[in-house]
Amino acid sequence: MAEKEASIFIIDLGSSMAQSNHGRSESDLDWSMRYVWDKITDTVSANRKTLCVGVVGLRTDETNNKLQEDEGYENISVLQELGPMGMTALRDLQSSIGPSTTSTGDAISAIVVAVDMMATFTKKLKWTRKIYLVTDGQGAMDADDVEDIAKKINDSNIQLTILGVDFDDEEYGVKEEDKPPQKAENEQTLKTLANACTDGVFASIGEAIDQLDTPRVKSVKPYKTYDGSLTLGDPEKFPAAMNINVERYFKTHLARPLAASTVVVKPELGGSQSTETVDGGDMEGIEFSAVKQNRSYKVNDADAPGGKRDVEFESLAKGFEYGRTAVHISESEHNITKLESVKSFTIIGFIPWNKYELFLNMGEVCVTHARKFDEKSELALSSLVWALNEVESYAVARLVTKDGKDPQLVLLAPHVEPGLECLYDVPLPFAEDIRSYQFPPLDRVVTITGQTLKSEHRFLPSDDLNLAMSDYVDAMDISTYGVDDDGEPSEYAPIEESYNPSIHRINHAVKNRAIHPDGSVPTIPPILLQFSSPPEDLLSKNKDAIEALIEASDAKGKRRRDAVKPISGLDVDALLGDDKGTISPENPIPDFKNAIGTTESESEIEDAAKQMGDIIRSLVTESFGDSKHDQAMECIGVMREELINIEEPKFFNSFIRNFKKALLSGTLGGDRRDFWFKIRYGKLGLIDKTQADTSDVTLDDADQFYKQR
Amino acid sequence: MSGGDHGWKREEEDEADQEIDETSYKTQKDAILLAIEVSESMLEAPPASSSKKADRDSPVQAALKCAYHLMEQRIISNPKDMMGILLFGTNKSKFQDENDGRKGLGYPHCYLFTDLDVPAAEDVNKLKTLAEDGEDEDEVLKPTSETVSMSNVFFCANQIFTTRAANFGSRRLFIVTDNDSPHSSDKAARSAAAVRAKDLYDLGITIELFPITRGDEPFQVGNFYEDIIYHESFGEANSTDVRSSKSGDGLTLLNSLIANINSKQSAKRALFSNVPFEIAPGLKISVKGYNIVHRQTPARTCYIWLDGEKPQIAIGETTRVAEDSTRNVEKQEIKKAYKFGGEYVYFTPDEQKTLRDFGSPTIRILGFKPRKAIPIWASVKKATFIFPSEEDYVGSTRVYSALWQKLLKDDKVGIAWCITRSNAQPILAAIIPSKEQSDDDSGTPYLPSGLWIYPLPFADDIREIKAPGELARSSDDLTTQMRTIIQQLQLPKAMFNPKKYPNPSLQWHYRILQALALEDEVPEKVEDATEPKYRAISKRAGGYLEDWWETLEKEAGNAKQAKALKRDPDDALPERPAKRSRAGSEKPSGSILSQAQLKSAVENGTLAKMTVAQLKDVLGAKGLSTSGKKADLVERIEEWAEQGV
Repeated sequence: MAEKEASIFIIDLGSSMAQSNHGRSESDLDWSMRYVWDKITDTVSANRKTLCVGVVGLRTDETNNKLQEDEGYENISVLQELGPMGMTALRDLQSSIGPSTTSTGDAISAIVVAVDMMATFTKKLKWTRKIYLVTDGQGAMDADDVEDIAKKINDSNIQLTILGVDFDDEEYGVKEEDKPPQKAENEQTLKTLANACTDGVFASIGEAIDQLDTPRVKSVKPYKTYDGSLTLGDPEKFPAAMNINVERYFKTHLARPLAASTVVVKPELGGSQSTETVDGGDMEGIEFSAVKQNRSYKVNDADAPGGKRDVEFESLAKGFEYGRTAVHISESEHNITKLESVKSFTIIGFIPWNKYELFLNMGEVCVTHARKFDEKSELALSSLVWALNEVESYAVARLVTKDGKDPQLVLLAPHVEPGLECLYDVPLPFAEDIRSYQFPPLDRVVTITGQTLKSEHRFLPSDDLNLAMSDYVDAMDISTYGVDDDGEPSEYAPIEESYNPSIHRINHAVKNRAIHPDGSVPTIPPILLQFSSPPEDLLSKNKDAIEALIEASDAKGKRRRDAVKPISGLDVDALLGDDKGTISPENPIPDFKNAIGTTESESEIEDAAKQMGDIIRSLVTESFGDSKHDQAMECIGVMREELINIEEPKFFNSFIRNFKKALLSGTLGGDRRDFWFKIRYGKLGLIDKTQADTSDVTLDDADQFYKQR
Repeated sequence: MSGGDHGWKREEEDEADQEIDETSYKTQKDAILLAIEVSESMLEAPPASSSKKADRDSPVQAALKCAYHLMEQRIISNPKDMMGILLFGTNKSKFQDENDGRKGLGYPHCYLFTDLDVPAAEDVNKLKTLAEDGEDEDEVLKPTSETVSMSNVFFCANQIFTTRAANFGSRRLFIVTDNDSPHSSDKAARSAAAVRAKDLYDLGITIELFPITRGDEPFQVGNFYEDIIYHESFGEANSTDVRSSKSGDGLTLLNSLIANINSKQSAKRALFSNVPFEIAPGLKISVKGYNIVHRQTPARTCYIWLDGEKPQIAIGETTRVAEDSTRNVEKQEIKKAYKFGGEYVYFTPDEQKTLRDFGSPTIRILGFKPRKAIPIWASVKKATFIFPSEEDYVGSTRVYSALWQKLLKDDKVGIAWCITRSNAQPILAAIIPSKEQSDDDSGTPYLPSGLWIYPLPFADDIREIKAPGELARSSDDLTTQMRTIIQQLQLPKAMFNPKKYPNPSLQWHYRILQALALEDEVPEKVEDATEPKYRAISKRAGGYLEDWWETLEKEAGNAKQAKALKRDPDDALPERPAKRSRAGSEKPSGSILSQAQLKSAVENGTLAKMTVAQLKDVLGAKGLSTSGKKADLVERIEEWAEQGV
């Protein structure tokens, strides 16, 4: 469990914070709040009771704090007591953040208030304590007790972070010109305070805001995937068999973006507001309700209307399909198809590194090291790891993580770093996991006559192209292109610095929406797109190599489609008889393709489309249940495709308009709504302008066509 | 790891894996119709031989056995796909039993032995009876004396596909024959066949020819079939190779045919089509992606309705209802919302779409790195094979080939930003070349050569490893002994060939199902090729393992001693308290026993209460032998104590 954490934000709301400075369009307050809101929404999204937030307003119009009896604590208001942070609290807080009309209020006093709040709330218990002060340094402050305060902060183990609007920061490289003397003095005071604290930070808020862009990676507790022995040989029959006590954890595990829930807007309320509670206890103001899925079951029944009838879920038994045969497996035998396996992790052999290819890796990787505090296992594993490294080999092992789990094959790769000697394991494919697709060779062409060409063919690269490619690949090396923290050349786009764009894009937008429910979706933070294209200056440096490559490759856009011919090149169309224009119900698709392929005249095309339309309608009308729906779908698909290809969308569009009407009005042999859904799903509606230039249907019209009833 | 949210994850994963082409109105299923010619020569048994390995099957018999094998395999590997068997040249004729009034009369000498469908247990049994048991009660394997019209055979296939496998994404006609020139003297019949073959092409039906040859006579594709067969697809003009099956070279006709048909067993389905591959700014080619490596899992359970005449699979339908009112919900009403701080943060469907939008599909090279720059642990997902297509960019093949050759030659990989379908999550991937299949150095001769998109993890995917810290380190001797063991136990051909390791749980699942479906006996055990070959391990490395074990025992003792010394007495490491209680146990370790302690232990007879390791430590510390059983060790210490005192 992560540690308990209490944070107090002191926010300067003085009237000067309403100004915009240094060319920024936002007010200083809004700008600074970017940082604060980010921190607070992080807390909200974590949704943890042990993450507490408190907020203190500085230079507020009112005064509301426990120390207000004393002098010097005026214009300081506690806006939120320390406590867990939810959406309701967030909304309350939002309404109370805004510039005041006053310019008085002592930042140092506010810190004292926060320290007091902290002490009251966390007592002597184990907490991580943080106080943030965000201010523009314009209010007067009393610097007398700074040292005492720093001592108190240190004694309470509080981390103090002071973030100033346009404070000077040499490291970050900002210095405000024409700084008002009051501000300069305050900056100095605050800096002294921060330096006097053990855990004190003093910085410009601009730097803090910049850092918000770097996504924060969520850390996950280590998850043990196996705990047992790693063996070589059979320890039961052969005492000297290798038998090492090991523990295995995830090394990589796919992180996934926040999942969206499916909700439905409650009809009586409509959707003016965007978010409301869906907490079971508090039913007030519920606008969405979660969507549940209901399943119903049908079986074929020739006597039932539509050929199918509903069956009760309770009447169904469990089983498996063997081909199309249903194999029923009774309750008592439900484990019969499950292989009985015994927990084990055992090596079956070794292979050299150079005989393995990364693209065989089937997924996530685990790390295996010797069981902690077991010297013998440490030694044994150490010898295996080092020996594998020395002979440059991997082990292949069979792994059953628990009794009854499916056996897996994994590749074990040695790894050594200070404090860690381990084996990484990568899941391997089984025989059934490899599909034997055939592909032609890439470095030669076999002609129909059986000749093998090694060069001089349009599928083979010329010497020029090979040379240009080689130069380009060498020029675009990025293994040392990046720059590390010390300014030394380093790998560009290393894994540690590449963040999953989907995850952080959604997190960013959701947080943003939580604070600004009515704002538009923010643009993608640039850091998420940093590796979406090659580095600009590397490209400009290698402009010549790129141009040479483009020139040598001579890759062009689409080629006109040639007439289709068998490998002999025989002109089959010439063999066709005179009945070219007729489309038979037995062979509609080839007939239609022939008709379209051999005609030029619009009236013949219209005729062919009409004949095809008739066949489709009669297929649907004759269909018992959905028995001929697929045939009809195929015909519609082909008709649509062909008419797009010859740019005659109107004949299809007029067909599909009438056809939809007929389907939905039930004139094609009964209720055919299912078929309409199929068409919608297959996107076989109107051909719009983007699909064929000559269409008079806009994309919107085409969309509407799917939606309208 | 909370268990609750696994459901949706699985769903999402499945979605991403589905092989949807852009022609989405088609069902992504495959149908194979196996057309086997029945003729005198096809039925002719091979010459008798006394050799055990000799061929005994006639070509028809071999083809049927092969069909049986294929059917069994496809039930496992392609459970949703269809298969049918059409015999042609038969004396009898039979077509679908539907009431279309066309029956077999329209297609003389075509016998539809198994109609095109997902095979049922009866189909498997019926085929088995004919193929394996050679029982042909209905005399379907009797050839006709008349000439069978090939155009008629093709049209018959056309009708079977059109009605049974309408709108399938993949439909293939496999022809097994030994006759390379049907209608050799009848030009009109040849033309008619060519026209009907073009119809098949127009329907998207691929013809795969599996010629059977005998002796040295080659099968002349040029005589007839080159007017019948079309290039696989526009843009891959390079790929038509027809491999003949024959008996010889130690291979039976059956094995040869199985090898050839297996290579076409699964339909080549693209995972994505014609995605631009931006090798450099301004240089795009188009590629298709293929799922060559894909984890095959047992089909999920289904619900079966038992109240009918025979058990039937119930088909589930999902409707969505609002949780509060259980009223039916239409698709348009459904919105997407994210849980945030215990509430929903809501986005309109259009906004939700923009959240997932990172641009249109592309594979964009950022630059190149040496292959070693990709560590072995940088793996999160399986790789996808990409292959060029000339459809969108002419010249794609040669540019791809040049890149492939360069990367192979210099052992480099590309780094690319990939969005392989619209709205897919962008990934960073390494573009890795695979070696030529015939290359002797290739570790993957069972995979095609070309480029692979190998997904790299993001920083978000890396789990922190809690390093155990200070470790006992193996000595050079121990490592050297392990090296010998590793060298002794290399896998055959020094490579991992997945083809040798069928998935034991998958095989078991289907063996049991098959037995249940066909009402056979349920087997006790099936062979599991993933189990280590213990006997071979003992034989080849047993002695070396013993050596290693002995050294390990010795060093483990020393290490313990060293650690114990280091910990004692005051500088015990506070952060490792567990260690003390576990390894240290209550008794003092042998090596730090003082002379006096040891003496008193000997006198009180408490030596026997010490562990073997501790006893060995004591002996080791005194420079005495540490071999033998516990009693021997105790005795040796007692002897030493008596002498030494």
